[in-house]
Amino acid sequence: MIKIPGRHEVCEKFKENGGKIAAVLPIHYPRALLRAFDFLPVEVWGPPHVDVSYGGAHLQPYVCSIVHNALSFLKTGGLDETDLIIVPHACDSLQGLGSILIDFVKPRQPVFPFYLPRGKRDEDLNFLMREIKALFENLSKITGKRPDDDTLMMKIEVEELADLKLKELYERRFRDRSQGNGAISNLEFYRIIRSREFLPAEDFIKLADESLEKLNFGGKGIPVIMSGIVPEPMEILDAIGEAGGKVVADDFACCGRRIYPPGNSRDPIERMARAIIDAPPDVTRGSLIEERFEHLKKLVEVTGARGVIFYTVKFCEPELFDLPELRNMLKEVGIPSVHIEVDIGDPLPHQTITRITAFLEVLE
Amino acid sequence: MSLKAHLEYYWNVKLLGTTFLRIERLRAERKQRVPKKWRTDILAPPLKISARTKELISRHYLEGRYANGHKPVAWVTSGGPVEILQALGFYVLYPENHGALCGARRYALELSEEAENYGFSQDICSYARTDIGAMLSGKTPVGKLPKPDLLLACTNICQTVLFWYRVLAKHFNVPIILIDTPFVYTEAPEHAIEYVKKQLEASIPIAEKVSGKKLSFKKLKEVVRLSKEASELWLEIMYRGKVKPAPISVFDQFIHMAPIVEMRGKPETVDFYAAMLKEVDERIKKGIGAVKKERKRLLWDNLPIWYRIRFLAEYLGKHGISVVASTYTMAWGELAPLIDPERPIESMAKTYIYPILNRGTGYKLKKMKEMVDEFDLDGAILHSDRSCKPYSIGQVDQRNKLIKDYGIPALLLEADHNDPRAFAEEQVKARLDSFIEMLE
Ligand code: SF4
Ligand code: SF4
Repeated sequence: MIKIPGRHEVCEKFKENGGKIAAVLPIHYPRALLRAFDFLPVEVWGPPHVDVSYGGAHLQPYVCSIVHNALSFLKTGGLDETDLIIVPHACDSLQGLGSILIDFVKPRQPVFPFYLPRGKRDEDLNFLMREIKALFENLSKITGKRPDDDTLMMKIEVEELADLKLKELYERRFRDRSQGNGAISNLEFYRIIRSREFLPAEDFIKLADESLEKLNFGGKGIPVIMSGIVPEPMEILDAIGEAGGKVVADDFACCGRRIYPPGNSRDPIERMARAIIDAPPDVTRGSLIEERFEHLKKLVEVTGARGVIFYTVKFCEPELFDLPELRNMLKEVGIPSVHIEVDIGDPLPHQTITRITAFLEVLE
Repeated sequence: MSLKAHLEYYWNVKLLGTTFLRIERLRAERKQRVPKKWRTDILAPPLKISARTKELISRHYLEGRYANGHKPVAWVTSGGPVEILQALGFYVLYPENHGALCGARRYALELSEEAENYGFSQDICSYARTDIGAMLSGKTPVGKLPKPDLLLACTNICQTVLFWYRVLAKHFNVPIILIDTPFVYTEAPEHAIEYVKKQLEASIPIAEKVSGKKLSFKKLKEVVRLSKEASELWLEIMYRGKVKPAPISVFDQFIHMAPIVEMRGKPETVDFYAAMLKEVDERIKKGIGAVKKERKRLLWDNLPIWYRIRFLAEYLGKHGISVVASTYTMAWGELAPLIDPERPIESMAKTYIYPILNRGTGYKLKKMKEMVDEFDLDGAILHSDRSCKPYSIGQVDQRNKLIKDYGIPALLLEADHNDPRAFAEEQVKARLDSFIEMLE
């Protein structure tokens, strides 16, 4: 088994070496920029096990659990060791959270919103570059630093290498069809993948290399793809495994939608912006339903998956709007799917497990 | 465009429909009938202009019914920059307005269920559900909706419209113009305004291609001027709420706001609001209040509860409460000063990035406080709208701050703008009752 350090441990170590921690909310942001200012981005996708009543003091019950939990986490001291909060824009709910933080909650740390354009047009790229520059200026203001282009480029290259490793891990997962014993479970696989959310890129690269060298990514199981925002509660992954399924790829906002392609521009700002603009389709960046369909279809073809599990967070409008058409389109080309909705803070309902088992039986 | 469609349009809209609707309106104006069960003991009779509102809206939808083949059709979000499309001769339909109309006529639930049966979740915006239901089933209380040739989604009211319009784009297989207006947390940075301007410029060739016409800047300036005039008049009308007793309530504003949303840039809209302002001023001269015995005055925040407008007007009116101002209706007037017909694109970029819905929660609170002072109000009702997250997130703090920091009584009222299933009448009454007690 490969040892993955815990978040707290990682943060402590990073701080010991003089660095600072930036808590970053979902979904897209320029990691390399933060690293160039010696901030370690540590992402906040919920998390699931917090006392949500703290978020409930600011938010209505019809706001998704990612936002509820993130606010509760902050209010219960979960972000105390961080020095900065970044709120990228993804949806109305995250936008609202960012605004509440700035105007009402006013945490100790500075809060920087980061707006992401909803298209891939020239004007979108230009705007995103200007947003990254604005974030640069804000970071510069609070740190007094002004990393030069060479430093930025160096950080970008490390992040790109980490993204390549992430891609390699996924490829190994679906290519390794060996049936022998000792293969890692869905949960173990995602523990590795999701460590990208808090490990420094350099450490993630090492972890990925070690995993690729030592672990068995094969194993039995009906190959399936998952799509949604985040695989929380992570028990879902074990439940799929126990029902006989193997997750061979995903279209999760926290994972597969952030396999950023390497760039080639020599302008670091443009290169960071392009990576986000050219990332796999994502509804929160305005990708068309057709693009998402093509992407999923291709994933199914390449990985040999037999079906798609849409695993969404309750009240997540971006996902909910796409699902009926997306599922119909998949059905038309013979790709079955199932939709499961969860509140990330709730234990996995028995009914969900039953539905997954039934779905996998159909695929068999 | 086809000859048959042109002939049908002229015959049904220009000749028959327009004449018929005018006669209907004249008849209604002459009779000035008060609707059955209207509580004249509590509320002033409906505005005389109502007959004209009905005529305008009916003609608008009638035109839509025969628009395909006669002129290009665009479906646009309610805060969308419509002036370019108007100048190119598009027939413009606002799905949200259609949704509101369905809500007010108690037709939204049926349409929403059509969408839900297809697989759309009950948790998405109920306007979207209503319109997707209409799109899937072809049902609508206005007869028939024209198919769009073009979609225009502007994110200055919410991100939801972007998700919603992608569903429309897929269904109708038509191009979509996106005007992405970065959310203004505090102030809009220069690059955000520049971004909106660039997108407006880039939208012109797309709209020109669909319409088969070249945009005349002279025409655009004229449309922008009319837009500004109508918005200014609308603002004037809302400011008349400062008078005591308030001549019109927000419930009247909700009913008469359709033209400012969906007919901006048209001369008849300017005429309409000029006439409405005149009538409101007549009421002021005569000392007529929207609520007969106005004792308390309130602010409304967020969208209307379309299917319960009359109920709320009467329930509050019964206690002498007039809801005289609203952050929602104000949104279509407050930006009028930013519109500059001589610099149409530049000024549109600024105007369309700054509506209240695209601004931070702190700004909204500031605006509420200002309105309470300006209109001399006694409290605020914040409609916590289940399926409109962008408007509703932040209201818990806003309500608390209104109460604690400013001593303004404020109520958070749980409901939904278009889904009657989210409206628990007994609970609403109980909440209103205890709020009213607090006001005393
Ligand atoms: S789960 Fe959906 S609604 Fe919630 S923050 Fe993420 S994208 Fe937004
Ligand atoms: S979410 Fe709110 S602002 Fe957006 S379309 Fe629906 S009602 Fe309008």
